[in-house]
Amino acid sequence: MELYLIPLVFALVAAISPKNMVKYIGLAGAVATLIATVLKAMAFQTGSTVLVYDPELVSSFGLTFKMGYDGMGLFMVLLTNVIVPIILLSNLNRKVANERGFNAMVLLMQFALVGVFTALDGILFYVFWELTLVPIFLIALWYGATDSKKSLIKFFIYTFVGSLAMLLSLMALGTQAADFSHESLVAVQLTAKSACWIMGGFFLAFAIKIPLFPFHTWQPATYTNAPMAGTMLLSGLMLKMALFGMIRWMIPLAPEALGEMQFLVITLGLIGIVYAAIIAIKQNDIKRIFAFASISHVGLIAAGIMLFNTDALSAAFVQLLNHSLVAVGLFLAAGILEDRFGSRDITQMGGVAKVAPRFAFWFAVIAFASVSVPFTSGFIGEFLLLKGLYNYNWVVGLIAATTLVFGAVYTFRAYQVSMNGAATTHPFKDLSWNETLAFFLIAMMIVIFGVYPQAIINFVGPSLENLKGLIQASNNIVQ
Amino acid sequence: MAIDKLILLIMALPLLGAFVNGTAGKYLPKKIVGTLATLVMFAAFGLALMVFNRLHDTQIIHLFQVLNLDSITLNARLQVDSLSIWMTLVVTGVGALIHLFSMGYMSHDKGYYKFFTYLNLFIFAMLILVLGSNYFMLFFGWEGVGICSYLLIGFHYSDLEKGMLNSIAARKAFIMNRIGDLGLLVALFLILNQFGTLEYNELADRILVDKLIPSDWMMLGITLMLFIGATGKSAQIPLFTWLPDAMAGPTPVSALIHAATMVTAGIFLVVRSNYLFELAPTTQDIMLYVGLATSLVAAFIAMRQNDIKKVLAYSTVSQLGLLFVALGMGAYTAAIFHVTTHAFFKALLFLGSGSVIHAMSDEQDIRKMGGLKKFIPITHLTFLIGTLAIAGFPLLSGFYSKDEILAHAVMHNGVIYAVLMFSVALTAIYMFRMYFLVFHGEFRGSAEAKHHLHESPLNMTLPLIVLAILSVFGGLLNLPGLFFEKGTHWLSHFLEHNTRGLELIHSVHLETSQAMLLMGSAVVMTICILIASFVVYVKRGSLAKADSELTGWELASNKKLYFDEVYNKLFVQPIEWIGKMSHQVIEVAVLNKSISVFTTAIGKTGDLVRKWQTGYVSNYLLWMVLGIVGLVVYYLLKF
Repeated sequence: MELYLIPLVFALVAAISPKNMVKYIGLAGAVATLIATVLKAMAFQTGSTVLVYDPELVSSFGLTFKMGYDGMGLFMVLLTNVIVPIILLSNLNRKVANERGFNAMVLLMQFALVGVFTALDGILFYVFWELTLVPIFLIALWYGATDSKKSLIKFFIYTFVGSLAMLLSLMALGTQAADFSHESLVAVQLTAKSACWIMGGFFLAFAIKIPLFPFHTWQPATYTNAPMAGTMLLSGLMLKMALFGMIRWMIPLAPEALGEMQFLVITLGLIGIVYAAIIAIKQNDIKRIFAFASISHVGLIAAGIMLFNTDALSAAFVQLLNHSLVAVGLFLAAGILEDRFGSRDITQMGGVAKVAPRFAFWFAVIAFASVSVPFTSGFIGEFLLLKGLYNYNWVVGLIAATTLVFGAVYTFRAYQVSMNGAATTHPFKDLSWNETLAFFLIAMMIVIFGVYPQAIINFVGPSLENLKGLIQASNNIVQ
Repeated sequence: MAIDKLILLIMALPLLGAFVNGTAGKYLPKKIVGTLATLVMFAAFGLALMVFNRLHDTQIIHLFQVLNLDSITLNARLQVDSLSIWMTLVVTGVGALIHLFSMGYMSHDKGYYKFFTYLNLFIFAMLILVLGSNYFMLFFGWEGVGICSYLLIGFHYSDLEKGMLNSIAARKAFIMNRIGDLGLLVALFLILNQFGTLEYNELADRILVDKLIPSDWMMLGITLMLFIGATGKSAQIPLFTWLPDAMAGPTPVSALIHAATMVTAGIFLVVRSNYLFELAPTTQDIMLYVGLATSLVAAFIAMRQNDIKKVLAYSTVSQLGLLFVALGMGAYTAAIFHVTTHAFFKALLFLGSGSVIHAMSDEQDIRKMGGLKKFIPITHLTFLIGTLAIAGFPLLSGFYSKDEILAHAVMHNGVIYAVLMFSVALTAIYMFRMYFLVFHGEFRGSAEAKHHLHESPLNMTLPLIVLAILSVFGGLLNLPGLFFEKGTHWLSHFLEHNTRGLELIHSVHLETSQAMLLMGSAVVMTICILIASFVVYVKRGSLAKADSELTGWELASNKKLYFDEVYNKLFVQPIEWIGKMSHQVIEVAVLNKSISVFTTAIGKTGDLVRKWQTGYVSNYLLWMVLGIVGLVVYYLLKF
């Protein structure tokens, strides 16, 4: 219960506390949540399901209020509660127009995200899913670029339409189920055709959020216009809701449609991998480069998830973590460059490495992690995902693997053009302590899970097996 | 200490050096930084020698399990056998000498501690590559050395003029390597699917003992993909153009990474997988011809290069081509022999060129050198030995190792032998050209440069001397059976004794008369070229032409056969164009536009619906009545 209460309470406190204290209260709240989560994780037995809230109460329309987590859910909660403090930490030395609103919104976001990852009831999942939209919208609106309203409206309408499709699917499925709890929804047997519709609804919502090609057009504009923290939240956590949603909800609820949809989604993911990477090669806006890079990376994860076998799913979780860390790191670097240069155009930068060696070092570490070199968590994740796709179809695997090459092209171009070359004359302050610490924490986790990814796999593996068992038991199909 | 502890220590030492220098190096005096980095290398080499002495059979050292899933188990595991310990000796031995050299060479550099951190890190990655017990570890190290190579090529990234160029060279190297890595990755997937394991030993058991041999096509696929990986790292056609550009890195880096060790990783990979390649004769042929073409093309380009390091770089590419010819003929031990001697004399030549560049105040153009032999005598002498060794001068190390490959070629196919001889001749020609232009004749640089000419300090000349001695006597490792009855082919026997697959390869040696003839012709050719070069460059005093005077084949050679330009037109520009167009057309014009239409439509609908909410009861009543009428009409019509 404290997983929800701490961020919520701190969000309220932050909204009314004195201005000069707000930042630290916000950070304290996030760290407190993290500690609570770690305690939960230590007590957690892999493979079990812990119900946080189960009132044995079913409302007239089948809402069960079931909240709880298994290994996968807890992993995502951990991820959320690790990333949020890092985001707040890296923002400590930045000024925002309204500290209270900002910290309250980030914590509210954290609350909503924890809700999404622990909801075991379809309706609750939907409610939390929609709730996340409020803080991110306000953060982007209040603190983003001044001309960002239009792109924000587009983002809002876009994701809202997707969510509606998901709601329709949920309702359609709910009419056939005893109630809206996860297990009841999974137990429903569907004809292949109706399963396609139901999965299609979920898919639209998730494809927009992830985002997959061709539903991604809101993303580059929103990422570039949002303030640094907003972009970090969007790329580091919000899109993970959708990938997690695919694993927890979309596929288990309508597994009958997996065969039909598999090819479609993998193809879209594949197009995204190559398409976004090729576009990223020629962009000059650093945030936009990383935005397209993100599309490319998540396309691979989404395609891997659709394989829905143990290897690919385990890899997907490793890669979820990796992408969160890398995306937050990259956008932190981009934010620092934008902040100090007052521009996002890399052709106007250059020569930073000479004057800010500390920043150059940490940015390089993140850049290397982004191209998935050994000793970083992306290495194993990418290796396994590509292997899965290769086994699915060697052409698919080969096309996906071009990310190895293109990733190096755009990442190093972005890094070298902005950082290398003769020393810049523009005044450039090297990292402050909080930024260094944020980079260090990110890099540390990247390396730890790069050398020992088995920790993640052990954590989520049994729950994955349970989920697959559940699907098999209720649908008599063998995946 | 047992072998497993020793091996762990060997790996830990460079890592320790990198860690200490990486974290505290900034605050330590240069002396300590350099000494520490160099000491760990010498210590590692000493330990490797101990292991070498004690090693009797293959040892597996299990570290930990990286990954364990139903379908795949990846282990961090080391394997010590003849091949891996031999490579370890080469890497740590040559590496130690180059570290020592760097202490002097880099002494004025601000990034001193960084340089040694990267260098030690490179050694660590390289040791993972050669000591790993499975293809996964190999891939790990493979990518690891790629990163270090990237960091070191672009080491002077903030240089006033060349900073960005260095960065671009580094990026190019990394990307071209990545293209090769793609092949290696696919090979890994294929092996995993086919055999269910990536462990060398298990794989060898399946093939050599259980005879579980997949179809020819599968073997072709696996080996071809492995070879594509090798072409990236070992700079073969079509992926060789990064290596000459990699000369942007400091010279010790070129010596260590881009000549002696990293670029031989591809050869190591093929030797390690020899039993796979033996089952894929088509791949062997492809390897042979690609190697042959590379050897020839690179040697041709080297003829008219005027940057001292570029000549050596193309020479490295050419020698690597030669090595792949050997591998294509199944001459694995001969290849490792040449890898070893090449490591000696090419490291020597690169370090020598470093010493020259050091003396010349960072000038690399041989047209501005000349007559250096009296200014830098030790460098001159050692460079001469290196040149003679690579040119195949009798009784020096390159003579034996090259001759062994040539002997295999004779047995394989007369035409290949002839082409190979031509490539060897070109090597001698361009090497002597460079040697005479640099060290003989009159000094052609500025008076100020002449004033600064000086011999390098002892910590730079000492490695040169040691490498020169090795270049002279390296041939003793694998003497042909001509002169003695015993003690010949020592290295071949050593490798065959304890490397999976190699023991099965039947090595044939030429008859004595044939071998004598072969050696004789090689000797005559080398000496003829030496004399001719002497006449042309010393007696007649010919000089390298200015770029504008070049025509015909000289221009083609000087322009590197336009490989970069063609690649640019063929791959880089189209992809960039697609990227640009995708953004302008698909992204902005099609997708964004259609979404905008959609969102505007929603906005408009909102406006429209809002207007219905007029607030007048009469309006609402009207709508209600209309609704009722509608319903009544509907039901009337329905029944």
